[in-house]
Amino acid sequence: MNPRPGPQLHEVVPPLNQFAATPARLPERERPAVPLLAAENLCVSFPAGKGQWLTAVEDVSLTVSEGETLGIVGESGCGKSTVARCLAGLLRPGSGTVSLRGELLGARRTREQHRAVQLVFQDPYSSLNPRLSVRSVLSELLVFHGLAQGEALERRCQELMALVGLPADALDGYPSSFSGGQRQRIAIARALAVEPQVVVADEPISSLDVSVQAAILALFADLRDRLGIGMVLISHNLAVVRNICDRAAVMYLGRVVEVGEREEIFTDPRHPYTRALLAAAPRLRPGPDRVEARLRGEPPSPTARPSGCAFHPRCPRAEPVCATERPELLPAPAGSSRLAACHFRDEKG
Amino acid sequence: MSSALLQVRDLTVSVGRGERRYVAVRDVGFEVPAGGSLGVVGESGSGKSLTLRALMALLPRGVRAERGVVELAGEALPFTGPGARRARRGRLAMVFQDPLSGLDPVYTVGTQVAEVPRRVLGASAAASRRRAVELLRMVGMPDPEQRAHAFPHQLSGGMRQRVLIAMALASEPKVLLCDEPTTALDVTVQAQVLELLDDLRRRLGVAVVFVSHDLAVVRQVADELAVMYTGRVVETGPATEVLGHPAHPYTLGLLEAVVDLDDTAHAPQAIPGALPDLAHVPSGCPFHPRCRFASDDCALSDPGFRYLGDGDADRGTACKYPERVMAG
Repeated sequence: MNPRPGPQLHEVVPPLNQFAATPARLPERERPAVPLLAAENLCVSFPAGKGQWLTAVEDVSLTVSEGETLGIVGESGCGKSTVARCLAGLLRPGSGTVSLRGELLGARRTREQHRAVQLVFQDPYSSLNPRLSVRSVLSELLVFHGLAQGEALERRCQELMALVGLPADALDGYPSSFSGGQRQRIAIARALAVEPQVVVADEPISSLDVSVQAAILALFADLRDRLGIGMVLISHNLAVVRNICDRAAVMYLGRVVEVGEREEIFTDPRHPYTRALLAAAPRLRPGPDRVEARLRGEPPSPTARPSGCAFHPRCPRAEPVCATERPELLPAPAGSSRLAACHFRDEKG
Repeated sequence: MSSALLQVRDLTVSVGRGERRYVAVRDVGFEVPAGGSLGVVGESGSGKSLTLRALMALLPRGVRAERGVVELAGEALPFTGPGARRARRGRLAMVFQDPLSGLDPVYTVGTQVAEVPRRVLGASAAASRRRAVELLRMVGMPDPEQRAHAFPHQLSGGMRQRVLIAMALASEPKVLLCDEPTTALDVTVQAQVLELLDDLRRRLGVAVVFVSHDLAVVRQVADELAVMYTGRVVETGPATEVLGHPAHPYTLGLLEAVVDLDDTAHAPQAIPGALPDLAHVPSGCPFHPRCRFASDDCALSDPGFRYLGDGDADRGTACKYPERVMAG
């Protein structure tokens, strides 16, 4: 077998029947009142030895609508992957809830509920079982969830390959015979096999080579638009989030510090940490009017959270109040849908 | 140019032996002046890391430098033998990607940094110790006297990377080789480390060779660029020129593939096809199966490397039709 990269996605793939009834991407104003997936007040702590607790996620609330992509950005240790695992039901939050179309997903999810939210992992080298062919991975899922059998099974496997832009003969291959980009396509096919309503992708392109990253990103955008699924994309890379997300949430030390429509966040950030992230991001072209607000220091350990606003020891804008009072996540400017957790959220950068 | 501090010519590195032998780095050449910086860009398998390791005489077992010349201030450095390391000691130093595997977990970082001036420069124990603290301060370690007593696991990723840079600088090298030094770091910390490298270059006149897969990062640190593909240098020139007006289709493809934070108008475009297996590199120009500018003759003969005339002596490309690429 010679796994060649598939033909360009947009040339080949007919829409899957199963998804034909799902509404295409909804325009801005028509988003329904009940979000597709909603997380409310998630808190997660891990035991950190010596009777200490590490608060990985604190009071995080997020929503995703149909056909919408929510990006979560932040540096390592900010809790973004923990949020992803809670959304996908791999981790039970200490408190807080996750609900799908208003229905609470309990501590133990049913098979149907697990199907609805699927996760794509960062590293396609470790997330695929090396001893299972692509066909056995997909068929096992389809049979287990009662989605296809007999002839329909093979047909469905081939449809999935076409959907992620791989040739049908890739079904006979084992993970070792594919490149990183192809493996990530297989991992995506695996997530889509069970017809999820939401796909949560945790750093899906950061272990891939530059020249194939764009193809995987385009695949995500295309699937979202065509299947009308909701997506949560977790990344440390601001460029990736700006490229395909509709809304973005910025996390710092386990909390959401700013969340809103993509362009609001990128062109008019209201939290100093968002500004600092944007200033620190390496650029292909030197910016003409970029303020060089370089941050001092590094993110503190989640076991020793600073008092008040957790960002205050590194913040260029900090005042005494920041060390004592934790700022709430509030509309910025007042009445806006964008929220920022900063005492000075009304100031423009 | 004779002003170059580090000069590399025709460096060729092979992996394996007998039937399974293949060439991983082919005829690579570049030069870096004192205080200058060269960025080497490429994807996995482009040979960028092996090139650095060959320069350091740190090639793993089974990998050999077949031919080529590495000259430091006009003096050729051997690749193998007992003299190879000695010839580089105190002149070439390397910073690796993963700051944890470069440090010994059972010694304090102060001890590890101090070991270099003691062994390499023959300084006394007390002087080495003072020098270690001084170096840690120089690389921007907060509270260096205290931190010298810390073990690697007690430090964050950014601080460990600073310790590695301090160790590399401890031998007072003329050239600092950096292999993806910021890939494991967060963006705000990455920005600090890049600034530190820039600062060292200006203050100490250290020449920097910076290997990375990230074009945006390389643009920030490098004056000159060398783009590598399947073990060959396919394009060289001043960083702003190469990134602004690429003269090789692979460079253009990389630029189009990068997800650009500032460009929301154009969706990134992947390069068609896949990276070739180094044991089966396509004939002729290795990029021709993925190239949209290719003619039939690109598959037939190696394009060779040539310099573009227009007054810009160090602008070079391994493409037969750079004008097609530059016209878009």
